[in-house]
Amino acid sequence: MATEKADVVIVGVGGTGGILAAELSKAGMKVIGLERGPRHKTSDFAGQDELRYFQRQDLRPNPKRQPVTWRPNANARAVPMAPLNYGNQVGGGTVHYGAVSWRFHESDFRVRSQTIERYGAAAIPEDCSVIDWPLSYAELEPFYDRAEYDLGVSGKAGNLQGHKIEGGNIFEAPRQREFPLPPLFVDNSARIFEEGVKRLGYHPFPTPRAILSEPYQGRPGCAYCGFCSTHGCHVGAKSSVLVTKIPEAEATGNFKLVTGAMCYRIHSDNGGRVSGVSYYGPDNSDNTVEAELVILSPFIYDVVRLLLLSKTSKFPEGLANSSGHLGRHVMTHIGGRVFVAFDDRYVNMFMGPTAQKHTIDDLNGDNFDHGGLGFILGAQISVQGPGFDAGPIAASVGMPPPRGIPNWGAPYREFIAKYFARHAALNAQTDNLPFADQMIDLDPDVRDVWGLPAPRLTYDWRRPSERARVEYMLRKTEEIGRAMGASHVWRANERPGSPGGHHQGGARMGSDPKNSVVNRYGQSWDIHNLFIAGGSTHPTISGFNPTLTMQALAYMTADAIVNRYKKRPGPLV
Amino acid sequence: MTSKHNESRRAFLVSTVAGAGAVAAGAGLAQTTPQAEPAADHTHDNGGKLGAFLNQDDSAAIEAFTERLMPGAPGKPGARDAGVLNYIDLALAGAYAELQDFYRRGCAALADHCRKTYSKSFAQLTAAEQDAVITAMIEGKASSFTWPTSQAFFNTLRTHTMEGMFADPVYGGNKDFAGWRLVGFPGAQPVFTEADMASREAFTRGPILGLQAQARRS
Repeated sequence: MATEKADVVIVGVGGTGGILAAELSKAGMKVIGLERGPRHKTSDFAGQDELRYFQRQDLRPNPKRQPVTWRPNANARAVPMAPLNYGNQVGGGTVHYGAVSWRFHESDFRVRSQTIERYGAAAIPEDCSVIDWPLSYAELEPFYDRAEYDLGVSGKAGNLQGHKIEGGNIFEAPRQREFPLPPLFVDNSARIFEEGVKRLGYHPFPTPRAILSEPYQGRPGCAYCGFCSTHGCHVGAKSSVLVTKIPEAEATGNFKLVTGAMCYRIHSDNGGRVSGVSYYGPDNSDNTVEAELVILSPFIYDVVRLLLLSKTSKFPEGLANSSGHLGRHVMTHIGGRVFVAFDDRYVNMFMGPTAQKHTIDDLNGDNFDHGGLGFILGAQISVQGPGFDAGPIAASVGMPPPRGIPNWGAPYREFIAKYFARHAALNAQTDNLPFADQMIDLDPDVRDVWGLPAPRLTYDWRRPSERARVEYMLRKTEEIGRAMGASHVWRANERPGSPGGHHQGGARMGSDPKNSVVNRYGQSWDIHNLFIAGGSTHPTISGFNPTLTMQALAYMTADAIVNRYKKRPGPLV
Repeated sequence: MTSKHNESRRAFLVSTVAGAGAVAAGAGLAQTTPQAEPAADHTHDNGGKLGAFLNQDDSAAIEAFTERLMPGAPGKPGARDAGVLNYIDLALAGAYAELQDFYRRGCAALADHCRKTYSKSFAQLTAAEQDAVITAMIEGKASSFTWPTSQAFFNTLRTHTMEGMFADPVYGGNKDFAGWRLVGFPGAQPVFTEADMASREAFTRGPILGLQAQARRS
């Protein structure tokens, strides 16, 4: 049993924890980072292997060792979720993600107010618990900018200081300057998508991605190998926190990284402060870090679990949970997937970065009139691989054949042989509202290899407005497929009864300590030296991938700690 | 395996060796001799023999079953050509060891269903009878199955067949890139160019690359 002391202990050295580690250690703070998984090197990813990384999910938590369970509602029995959406290594999910890097819309930060203003209060589902964010887009913009330039994001501006630019996303919130890097190459599937959606009057643009289109900060540009989402980058062009912020943190001499460290408890003095954490080492040793500041930055399941496991007599419902909102208001993205196949051309989806390659934002957020539709919010619609990856395993297990063709036998062989290199997938990544009964708690039956209760997700999208939104987006996406000139257009059979992806919420930020867990800086309302970073703090999720927003918030939190909290510890307002 | 099949396989191997030589030349490395290429040495013909996990009867059933899921035809390699049985056998002895009982019981239920319905083993049935068994399993009409359910056993075998067809050959299937040739996947290419990505044609700039070729290059 070892005890160490530090100024700051960070639990989870991933997409946000790594940023905080670098920024705080650069400011002279002594930081210890605890990471459950291993540390990889870029050369570890020389073996481009779809079975290992896509199908067997080598860079995700092992669901056998570290189960997270899911049930559609409180009356159902929870079962372990097969694919987990987050990372299990230094750099976290940014090592294997598709690196799609969005800024949320201005309206995404004020869904409640925007909806009431435009459609009236009745447009919000009766039992929906949506609140506005405690900050505006404009307040976060400098930190989005910093994240894009610090990490390396490629894209094309569509709104420079209010000036709309065709070819970029004209629906994006105003940005102060261009992306640091030009867009990645536009591939064949993106060209076909672009031609198709323009026929329908939409505004396509290359998806911004944290993948270098040119050499930047000593790293090379993308090699377009296609082993991208679910894989680690074999040249280091993906701007993961592993290759950007971790070396920066280590160069300060103030950062100590501990891998194989499973944090199981946050210590508190029962008087409004936390004093450190305990963790199991890889040898099952029981260790403690005493720190002035505790930052939680694992995935949302473990934020909630750790706080629930750390309950005290002062906080009997979970540490920092005087509000009773810890674990609640969890949201997901529902993927409305449509497939297209061409008889007259090859598409070669397996080339280039595989996540959302080219996108329209016309049907996302409040970018279109929802009057009479029976739902608010929308989806980002993109062309991408059939699974997270675009190789033949993803195509054969992730893309059901069109109606009338069985998924086995000679007809299936003919289908996959002809269309593997001639198909594309379209995905309507559909936004989703918070409800108090969409939640994470502790599973009473399932435990992980450390003997800790598994996090349990209770979630489904069976509400009428949720179903109407997905169905609308599927129909619009099918229209796009036909406009692309595809010989075959068919949809995946999406229906309620699935756990979704990109889980966010559970420790949401707000303006009112009675209906939120943290303030805009991720600082606990109850315990001022406890901060939370990552998607658990998001009050709404938008139709966009969450990582860049999580990272912008991490830069903002680091800035507040270094420039304000460090000098005068206490509640930040 | 028929002798005719062996002939076509031999022709296949010759083209593979030629292809592998072209890889080295294309990469600007020293030309390797054909003898140095290990293209043919991981053949593991498991039909009716003992493997790493599956017994003889189960091997025969799995080989026949997966061949019906992805049947071979002239010029179109199927599960048997790709060595899907070998992939599954090695996976069950290693990465998928927790599925051993799932397979053991699934194979027993499959054998029981075939015995009751046809008085034969699955491998002894005609292709049409085998397809009828698979259809009954998908429709939940094969009453010999309890756990795993017939649908779960079918779904798992289908997934593992695709893995055995399309995973890198180091895992024991996709023999001589049979699966990648079937669908036109060039494998572990380190780079695609802007011209590659703009093309409306099949990728033919270079040969198929697997992990072993990658390892030799690095």
